[in-house]
Amino acid sequence: MTRRRTFGVAAFAAAAALVLGACSSSSSSSSSGTPTSSPGTTGFNAAVTNVINPSTAKGGTINFGNSSAPDSTDPGNTYYAYMWNFTRLYVMPLMTYKSCPGSCGLQVVPDLATAPGVVSDNGLTWTYHIQPDVKFEDGTVVTTADVKYAVERTFDRGLFPLGPAYFTFLLGGNAATYPGPYKDRAKNLMGLTAIDTPNTTTIVFHLAKPFADFNYVAAIPQTAPVPPAKDTGANYQLHPISTGPYMFQSYQLNKELVLVPNPNWQASTDPNASQLASKITMTMNMNANDIDNRLLAGDLQVDAAGTGVQAAARSRILSTPSLKAQSDDPLAGFTWFAALNTTLAPLNNAHCRMAIEYAASKTNYQDAYGGPIGGAIASTVAPPNTVGYKPFDLYDATTDPNGNIAKAKQELAACGQPNGFTTGITYRSDRPKEVAAAEALQASLAQVGIKTTLHGFPTSTYDGDFAGVPKYEAQHDIGISFYGWAADWPDGWGFFFYIVDGTAISPAGNTNLAQLNDPVVNNLLTKMAATTDDATRNSYTSQIDMQVMKDAAILPGVYAKSLLYRGPTLTNVYVQPYYGMYNYAVLGLKS
Amino acid sequence: MITFVIRRLFATVFLLIVVSAITFAIFFIIPRLAGQNTYQLATEYVGRNPTRQAVLQIEAQLGLDHPLWVQYGNFLKGIVLGTHYNAGTNTAYCPPPCFGYSFRTQQPVWPQMVSDLPVTLSLAIGAAIIWLVSGVSIGIISALKRGTLFDRFSMSVALVGVSLPIFFTGLISLELFSYKWPIFPNVTFVPFSTNPLLWARNLVLPWLCLSFLYAALYARLTRAGMLETMSEDYIRTARSKGLPERTVIFKHGLRAALTPIVTIFGMDLGLLLGGAIITEVTFSLHGLGLFTVEAVQNQDLPEILGVTLLAAFFIVIANLVVDILYAVLDPRVKY
Repeated sequence: MTRRRTFGVAAFAAAAALVLGACSSSSSSSSSGTPTSSPGTTGFNAAVTNVINPSTAKGGTINFGNSSAPDSTDPGNTYYAYMWNFTRLYVMPLMTYKSCPGSCGLQVVPDLATAPGVVSDNGLTWTYHIQPDVKFEDGTVVTTADVKYAVERTFDRGLFPLGPAYFTFLLGGNAATYPGPYKDRAKNLMGLTAIDTPNTTTIVFHLAKPFADFNYVAAIPQTAPVPPAKDTGANYQLHPISTGPYMFQSYQLNKELVLVPNPNWQASTDPNASQLASKITMTMNMNANDIDNRLLAGDLQVDAAGTGVQAAARSRILSTPSLKAQSDDPLAGFTWFAALNTTLAPLNNAHCRMAIEYAASKTNYQDAYGGPIGGAIASTVAPPNTVGYKPFDLYDATTDPNGNIAKAKQELAACGQPNGFTTGITYRSDRPKEVAAAEALQASLAQVGIKTTLHGFPTSTYDGDFAGVPKYEAQHDIGISFYGWAADWPDGWGFFFYIVDGTAISPAGNTNLAQLNDPVVNNLLTKMAATTDDATRNSYTSQIDMQVMKDAAILPGVYAKSLLYRGPTLTNVYVQPYYGMYNYAVLGLKS
Repeated sequence: MITFVIRRLFATVFLLIVVSAITFAIFFIIPRLAGQNTYQLATEYVGRNPTRQAVLQIEAQLGLDHPLWVQYGNFLKGIVLGTHYNAGTNTAYCPPPCFGYSFRTQQPVWPQMVSDLPVTLSLAIGAAIIWLVSGVSIGIISALKRGTLFDRFSMSVALVGVSLPIFFTGLISLELFSYKWPIFPNVTFVPFSTNPLLWARNLVLPWLCLSFLYAALYARLTRAGMLETMSEDYIRTARSKGLPERTVIFKHGLRAALTPIVTIFGMDLGLLLGGAIITEVTFSLHGLGLFTVEAVQNQDLPEILGVTLLAAFFIVIANLVVDILYAVLDPRVKY
């Protein structure tokens, strides 16, 4: 997953066995979604495992500042991590992530649904029941037809191209050819045969093939109900009809969004959200440094993007004890890495790729991302928060972080390139940290005779025109591509599929930049998707990780961390590990 | 004069068509020369992990699958006649001038530009008044008191002003007057119609920072012009005729020195009306400048075309006004 336009899964320090279904947190949700904590808990990183300022006080305006604009406020058309967090303020998908700090927050739990999906028909059928008394903001009761319609409209990829595409290839029936309800309006709007709604509170999904992670898919905002009569298509983003604690009061596109309490939301139906503030605003396209300064001055309470403060504010926060005590540095759920092109000579020889693994200075890579505050040196592809993660270190990334020239030269000899070789490196030129990391890697590799040419491209065209186009990479001798990824959901399949599966390679917008097509990896991912037993399924995570590293297809850089500042007037503040940032659905203000 | 104005307006229309064609060509043809195809271009507007089906659908939705001349023709037609657009649940009508729909948000471009325009107008016109009045005044005084302490000091300050970029002065002023000493806290744009006082208060810092740069330039320009004209023979003649010094300076001296100032003012204001990019980004003011930055970052052709044409329009009109003012300032100029 790319950093900017992606969904982030955050971890917390000392993550041990992150098993789905186990709740180890002491925070128990009240009916209003307000977690509890030890009173007086404070300090640096306190919000990673504790709730700061627990309170049920109501009132006030929470101001979010955003350095860009949402990809979309339409829950069916967004893929940004912070938007999947923020949309919980105004919509209720079928499932959601439990609102609690620590590993507890990685659990997927029912939201609109009454329970996780019931699996039948050899894993091909998933049945959910929804709560009978959830209402839209206008008082209309939500039915399963609204949920079906919400999923159906996302099939119109011409109008809603930005959200995830899981339903289009996971569902069976006529999903492969279904054009969406707008082109299907001649019929009854419910033309997707892969979803049945036998009654107003039951919804049945028919899959094309078994997919054990479907509860996670049901947690994507695309399952938030949309009333067909109030759908406005491309304009729905201007005022989605709310089922969450807040609803749209006004939205000036790309400028300012104002939310006010939804009078028809009931706390008893939505224990993972709260309705405490009187108003929530998000001001968009602000200068990032301005956001940090306003946060520190108290004019803003939250940096919406949730990816951490800028360099200037970071220095100030870390050097001022009182400010540092108000900040947290959680694992953000991303791994920043460099993909090594497995199809391009001489990197199509694994030993040449291993030479890069040994030669690269992980210390310099980490420094490029701001030192230990910016990220922890990575020895695996999957970050520690991934369910089933096991640590290992095949290429001495943590034991010899400055690189091992001798071993690198041995690998070069093994691949028939004892004097090194030449290749190109791509990176996103508008990301200063990635630029620094690319330059650092260039310097490291030069020590063993691997001569590289740097090619920087803007983020907006990186996937579509350059690094994500295999033909371009072949034509321009691009052997190394800088990238980053975070999972759409916190298990191995959710992390690995799009970056290492052979079937994920595409002619443009490719995310498997290593172009890895290893039958072992592909097979493990296939088995993972079909295995319903949690322990067995999660054991595949580390196996896939190990195989990818044995292939040396990816050079892991750092497990990203974000230095977040929590406004002192905020209540119920904690890091939701799934999103990698503070949980926006439960925030309030001190009275 | 009227014939001149009409001729220039026709030329403006022609120029805008040329600008739009060049922008269109830059957006499409140059990437194609580098090997990009339409499929790759459409991929940029689909989210992560684009499927082939999704890319083809967005290609059709955005009209990228049509020949370039058809796309350009539709664009021109939209400006004059408006266009219909598939919004999903209905077919929306975009009245003229319709600059199309954003590739990213699928919302009409013109209303977004119109909503951003007041920010840029407020910023540009307010700063223009400040820099013109202060710059010209200081320039006149410096010229008349050439060599004095005032002259040396003001020209030194002017040199500093010209040298310091707005992102520096802007950030310093925010740090001092907004965060550290909250004299101007929370600098955000408030519409004039909502609260004129807050509108002005929130724009003081951006105005001062922007005008500092230009005032310095205008002070030096005015001083140079005044020094030249005040040494002319006709000034000596005017004085010897017994005219009041004020009349000599303003009616005879300044008027002659204004021509280059008016020229450059037209260009500067015209450019700023198209978006004071750095100032808007520094102060997080969502005007046409910030709109432009987002449009370019998002590779959003309709937005890029719209803002380019609007900026070109302002520059051309500003130049037209300048040319008309020449005739007012200099009786020898006739159209």
